[in-house]
Amino acid sequence: MSIKDKVPVTILTGFLGSGKTTLLNRILSEEHGKRIAVIENEYGEVGIDQGLVINADEEVFEMSNGCICCTVRGDLIRVLGNLMKRRDKFDYVLVETTGLADPGPVAQTFFMDEEISSEFTLDGIVTLVDAAHIDQQLGRSDESSEQVAFADVLVLNKTDLVSDDALNTLESRLRDMNRMTRIIRAENAKVPIETVLNLSAFDLDQILKRRPTFLEPEYPFEWTGVYDLDAGKYELMLEEGPDPEMSLVALVNQGESEEELKDGAESSVRLYAEKANTLEPGNTIPYGEHINLKLDDKGNKSFILNIEKLTKIGLFTQHTAEEFNMKVIKSEENKEIPFNTERFWQAEHEHDDEVGSIAIERFGDVDPEKLNTWMGRLLSEKGVDIFRTKGFISYSGNPRRIVFQGVHMLFTAQPDKEWGNEPRRNQLVFIGRNLNEKEMLEDFDKCLI
Amino acid sequence: MPDIEPFSPRGMFHEGWTAEVNDYAIACGWALKGKQFIVGDVAGGLFAFEGDTGKIIWKKDNTHSGGLLAMAIHPEGEIFATSGQDGNVHICNCLQGKVIKTLDLGKGWVEHLKWSNDGLFLAIASSKKVYVFNETGEEKWISEDHPSTVSAVTWSNKNELATACYGRVTFFDIVNNKTNQKLEWQGSLVSMELSPDGDIVACGSQDNSVHFWRRSTGMDAEMTGYPGKPSHLSFDDSGKLLATSGSERITVWSFIGNGPEGTMPGELCHHTEPISSLAFSNKGMLVASGSRDGSVVASFLKKDGNGDPVGAAFAGDLVGEISWRPDDCALAAVNAKGVVNVWKFKVRTNLFSKGFK
Repeated sequence: MSIKDKVPVTILTGFLGSGKTTLLNRILSEEHGKRIAVIENEYGEVGIDQGLVINADEEVFEMSNGCICCTVRGDLIRVLGNLMKRRDKFDYVLVETTGLADPGPVAQTFFMDEEISSEFTLDGIVTLVDAAHIDQQLGRSDESSEQVAFADVLVLNKTDLVSDDALNTLESRLRDMNRMTRIIRAENAKVPIETVLNLSAFDLDQILKRRPTFLEPEYPFEWTGVYDLDAGKYELMLEEGPDPEMSLVALVNQGESEEELKDGAESSVRLYAEKANTLEPGNTIPYGEHINLKLDDKGNKSFILNIEKLTKIGLFTQHTAEEFNMKVIKSEENKEIPFNTERFWQAEHEHDDEVGSIAIERFGDVDPEKLNTWMGRLLSEKGVDIFRTKGFISYSGNPRRIVFQGVHMLFTAQPDKEWGNEPRRNQLVFIGRNLNEKEMLEDFDKCLI
Repeated sequence: MPDIEPFSPRGMFHEGWTAEVNDYAIACGWALKGKQFIVGDVAGGLFAFEGDTGKIIWKKDNTHSGGLLAMAIHPEGEIFATSGQDGNVHICNCLQGKVIKTLDLGKGWVEHLKWSNDGLFLAIASSKKVYVFNETGEEKWISEDHPSTVSAVTWSNKNELATACYGRVTFFDIVNNKTNQKLEWQGSLVSMELSPDGDIVACGSQDNSVHFWRRSTGMDAEMTGYPGKPSHLSFDDSGKLLATSGSERITVWSFIGNGPEGTMPGELCHHTEPISSLAFSNKGMLVASGSRDGSVVASFLKKDGNGDPVGAAFAGDLVGEISWRPDDCALAAVNAKGVVNVWKFKVRTNLFSKGFK
């Protein structure tokens, strides 16, 4: 049976009060043409007449080997085992967990039990968070950070109760914990149905389509603009922005191709690592140095750029130009010079939470044997701390790419589409607790041919 | 060539009859000493056929709203019980399929039914509770809540009932309302069989192992290495062989001598997809297996658990259940498409073939 014939399953998690029941009712009452069987765990009125709703008490079964990765939900195995005989009655399954549930056993059930995995496929994990309370919940319980870590989609609910600033901060905190998740803001759990069902969430391509930068390395700057500047004096003018200061590196002879931009970014990363020289408004910006513009005065602030002969100047700025309405102005003519090219970068920020994501992206082929050995060792040693794994791999000698996904130490891989003319490459994402990024990258590189 | 004598039949599938029910057939059994064959489908349809011809005798629709979960035919074969998602148990007569008594056990699914060997009691498992009723539907005993949903019930002797759930097997004296024994094991027990004398308890566990206990000695053992959870277990009538399966392979443990601990089990590899039903014949060492691939095979086993296939047939689709006629002269299989197949089965005779002289 191919994956297409299997019944997709969405797992709905979230703390009590996060809006699961509201979302469930919405999904069940909306016209979407799907016949959904719902397995729900919390008692309460689910006012629906359509669909197949089964109540099951959560039964988490640990195995005698004590391995948390082998822990499954016995009630789901029973209920799904029965549902499987009535496949003509439904074409989708939604499993709601109790607020305090660890999503691990639910997800593992779809890997561990052969009977279940032969008929059902985990389509995605949707976690609802209450925007007003998640900050405290994350501090208090492991379950809430695990629910965030496991999520393919995070519905940031009750946004009407929280300020935009707080939402932005919260979103970047959640994004730090789980870089592959899609975050959707909602009031009263109002989200488009297609954002929570039929996600094919284990397909990395889908994620990349939505957020092409999510696998990129992080940089200490968010934005680069390249300007064509003649000899002369220029002003870099900034309005008031989100910060009283901003770091910057200016490079001369900055090319505009993707490769040249990345080279410039690498040079800037090294310069950013050095201590910044602070510049007051009116000061001249030196090239090839890490500087820090002081911006705490009110109104417009200008810094000077002196150009000796025609060149391309690359500005690698900590924040985007838009945030400060940053402009380059030719002093004599008082004329704005627009940038020729701009490039946004994945910004790096503080990682406060223990839970985080690691992305590996490398061109080339891997040696299947070395990769298996490495993954096997990694998952057996760190499986408890690795919540989710997904990605694709280019095996040397194999015309098709290999897609894989895992939950804790459970892991499935299967051949996917042919590479064709596409450059062969590997993308892996790990979400877990206290993962050692440097070590994992080095170990992966050893698997490359 | 007058010196050649034909081989005596070695047990084969011969043409019998086929019939159809309305939905995925999940339960079947012989009633009225093999004169009748009853089939239950997942939607709650019940059908009775003439055992010899397959002619329909009666049928009932929607006996359980939400669907049928289990069926058990009384050992005398005059009555049978069914249960479903509606939380009900019906006790019906076999001749007309008429409901004699309906037991309402509340909201939970009723997933397991088992008549005691003498037919005096019917054990019923619903969620975490087990109930015992008599033939006329009078309640005789109720258990306390088990730690998890009860996954199997079976009778060890006429008054003693064994139940399995997550982490333990418990033996209850249901007449004196006493707990006789608790066997504990941290694992999710998904199936349970007892040897006919009630001494050996075998349970399939979610962690892909089979756990044994010998009640008389208190010894227990764990047989690991199954590729899938051993949902299917069957003892032969002597209690010497236990067939188990959690994959396309059947592993047979022999309790002869010091076994099965430390011995190599017999292995039967006849199917291409996992086993979905497994049953020893009522007498003798014939084991029949049905698979998700639709194949049905009967194998004749030796004392060490190894054996050879003696007949095979294709049932058309995933085999929901198989059932030997009480005299072992017919084997029935029902499938996921609602097709019923009954084959005449020529049992191996005591006369050995003389072969070529």
